[in-house]
Amino acid sequence: MNKFFRLLVSLLLVVIVVFNFTPAAWAFCGFYVAKADTKLYNKASQVVIARSGDRTVLTMANDFQGKVKDFAVVVPVPTLIKKEQVKVAPPKIVERLDAFSAPRLVEYFDPDPCAPVYNFSKALPTVSLSRPGNRMDLKKDSSLGVTIEARFNVGEYDILILSAKESGGLETWLNRNGYKIPRRAKELLQPYIRSGMKFFVAKVNLDKFNESGEEFLRPLQISYQSVKFMLPIRLGMANAKTEQDLILYILSPKGQAEVTNYRTVKVPSNVNIPIFVKQEFGGFYKSMFEKTYIREDRKVAFLEYAWDMGSCDPCSAEPLNPEELEQAGVFWLNGNSNPPPISPRFRRPYPTSGVFITRLHVRYSRNKFPEDLMFQETSDRESFQGRYILQYPFTGELNCSAGREYQQSLFRRKEKEAQSLAQLTDWKIQDIRRRIK
Amino acid sequence: MLFKDIRDYQILFLACFLVLGIGTRDWTIHPEFIAVAIATCVITQLVLSSVSDKGLTSNIRSALITSLGLSLLLRTDDWRTMAIAGFAAIGSKFLFQIDHKHFFNPANFGIISALSLTHNAWVSPGQWGEDWWYVLIFLGTGGLILNRIGRWDTTAAFLSAYSFLEAMRNMWLGWTWDVFFHRLTSGSLILFALFMITDPRSIPDSRTGRMIWAVAIAFLTFILRNYFFLPTAVFWALFILAPFTMLIDTIWTSPRFTWLKERKAINPLLQVQITP
Repeated sequence: MNKFFRLLVSLLLVVIVVFNFTPAAWAFCGFYVAKADTKLYNKASQVVIARSGDRTVLTMANDFQGKVKDFAVVVPVPTLIKKEQVKVAPPKIVERLDAFSAPRLVEYFDPDPCAPVYNFSKALPTVSLSRPGNRMDLKKDSSLGVTIEARFNVGEYDILILSAKESGGLETWLNRNGYKIPRRAKELLQPYIRSGMKFFVAKVNLDKFNESGEEFLRPLQISYQSVKFMLPIRLGMANAKTEQDLILYILSPKGQAEVTNYRTVKVPSNVNIPIFVKQEFGGFYKSMFEKTYIREDRKVAFLEYAWDMGSCDPCSAEPLNPEELEQAGVFWLNGNSNPPPISPRFRRPYPTSGVFITRLHVRYSRNKFPEDLMFQETSDRESFQGRYILQYPFTGELNCSAGREYQQSLFRRKEKEAQSLAQLTDWKIQDIRRRIK
Repeated sequence: MLFKDIRDYQILFLACFLVLGIGTRDWTIHPEFIAVAIATCVITQLVLSSVSDKGLTSNIRSALITSLGLSLLLRTDDWRTMAIAGFAAIGSKFLFQIDHKHFFNPANFGIISALSLTHNAWVSPGQWGEDWWYVLIFLGTGGLILNRIGRWDTTAAFLSAYSFLEAMRNMWLGWTWDVFFHRLTSGSLILFALFMITDPRSIPDSRTGRMIWAVAIAFLTFILRNYFFLPTAVFWALFILAPFTMLIDTIWTSPRFTWLKERKAINPLLQVQITP
C-alpha cells in the first residue's frame, strides 16, 4: 500500500510540474500597438452567432467580390424563416467585432536598471447567377418537390425560403431559376433536406441596392429558434480547391463557446518576440497561424479571443456599446446589462456585461473537415487573447553594476526572443538574428 | 501488493491519460481541482463506509478511479462544483444500491449531478480530437483491463450497435463515409466505451444482460445526440439506463463480480495474501 501511495504521489507531482510549466497568464497590461485582423486573409468569411437558450441570431458578413448583380447565396437553416426574422445589419458591426477581438501586439519599456528600485505590484456558398437580370419564375414546382415557403424583400436582398423533398429536384429548380450552383451540389444538398432543414436563398435586388446608396452589400442577419447550434460548412466546400478561412464571433450570455466535434485549440499567446516585428505584425501572425495550423494537422478550430465584452486589456478597439451589441444580434440585454441570474453560491468575483465573446478561427478544407461545425456554450469565463509582446531595452546611460548585469541579460533575452520567433513562424533564425542587430 | 489488483492498472492508465491530456491537448483544467476531486472522493468514501453497515472496508482504489474519471471528463471553473461532483459520485454508491450492488456508475453520476445541479459545469466532447494514435492507446490500455475483468462484451456490443446506427443514418442522409469515421474516431466516445460502461461492479452481471444493456445505451445515445442535439448524450444515456441494471440482473442471473474474486481467478498464488 505504501508503494502504491508513493506511486500516486509521484504521479501527482508530474501533474503539478506539467501545470506549472504552462505559460502563466500574468497581469495584463502594456500598450496596445497593432492588431492582426481579418484584412490579412484574402478571403475570410465572417459569421457572428449570438445565442442564448435555443434562440440564435446569425449574421453573415458579405465578402462577395464579384459584381453585385451576380451575388446569390444558399444557406441551409434549421427552421422556416419569416420576413420579420431577417434583417440587414450595418456593415460596420462585423468590422467592430473583428477589431475588438483581433490578436494584438503590445509593448513594454524596460525601466532604468540604475534607478532606485520601487516595488509595483468560408462558411457560405456563394453562387453566381448564370442569367443576370433574368426574372425568376417563382411558381411552386410540385413536380420537382420544391416548395417556396416564403418570398420577401429585405434591404437590398430578395429572399426565398425553400423546402424540398428531394435533392435532385432542388438542384434542377435552382438551375432553372438562374442559380449557377456547383456541379456536385446534389449530393451535398441531400443530407440537409433529409435532416429537415430549409434553404435560405438570397440574391440582390439591383433597384433596391441602387436606392440604398450603399457601396457594398450589407450583412444578412437571420434569427431563429432551434436546438441545433451548428454552422453548415460542407456546401461552401463544394467548389473550393484550397482551404478557406472562417472567423466566427460567438456571443453568449454565459461564457466561452467551443466546437464539440473538433478540437478547440488556443493560438500560441503571451510570447516575447523581437521588436522589429512591430513593422510586420500582420506577416508574423499569418506565418505563425499557418505553422500552428500545420502542426495541429489542419483539423482543429483555433481560439483567438475569449473575453467578457464589458472590458478589454489592452484594448485593440473600444468595447461595443449596447446599441452596437444589439446590431450584432445580442437580444438578451433588454436595456439593462444584468447577466442572467447565477445562484449566489456561484457568484462571479468580477462584474460582467452580460455578453461574452468567443472568436474562433477555423481554416477548413474538404478532407480535414468532413462534418459541419457543431458548437456548445460553456460556463467557462476564463479570458484569453492572442497577445504578443515587444519589450524595449533601456537606452539611457548605464554606469552602475546593476546596469552591466542588465546589459549582459539583454543579450540572452534577445537570443531567446529570436528563438521564440523562429519556433513560432517559418522565419529563419539567421535572418531573425541579423535583423535584431 | 501493488499492481496485483487490476484497479491499480486502471488508476495508472487514467492518471497517464490525464498527464497526456494536459501535456498534449490544451485543456482548461486547474491542478487544484484534481486535488479537490481526489480529496472529496476519498474522504466521502472513508466517511460513508465507516457509517454504513458494511463496516470499514475502505475502498480507496475505487474512489481514486472515480476522482480521476471526474478530472478527465468534467470541466468547471469553481472548485465547489468539483467537490459536489465528487461527493455525489461516491454518495450514489451508498444511496442507490440494492442488495449491496450500486447501479449508477459513480463518475457518471457525479458528472450528471454537476451538470444539472450547478451552473458552471460542462463536458468538452471534442477535447481529445480524432487522432488514430489516441484511439490506439485507449484500445490498448482499455483492452488490457477488459481482458482481465472479462467485460470486452460490453464495449463490443456498445460500439457495434452505435456504429451500426450511425452508419445507417449516414447512408440515409447521404453523407460521405468520412463523416461516419470522423464521428466514430472521437477520443471521448472511445474512452467512454472502454472505461465508463465497463465498470464490472455497477453493470449487469450476466453476459446476455450486459449486451442488451449496452445496446440500449448505444440506441439512447444515438437518439439524444442526433435528434435532441445533446453534446453530452453518452452520459445522459448511461445515467438514464443505469437503474435497469437491477431489472436485468433479476431476469438474467449470474454470479456477482467482486474485485477479490477477480484477483483470485487471475493469480491463484495470491490467495494467501489477500485472505484477511
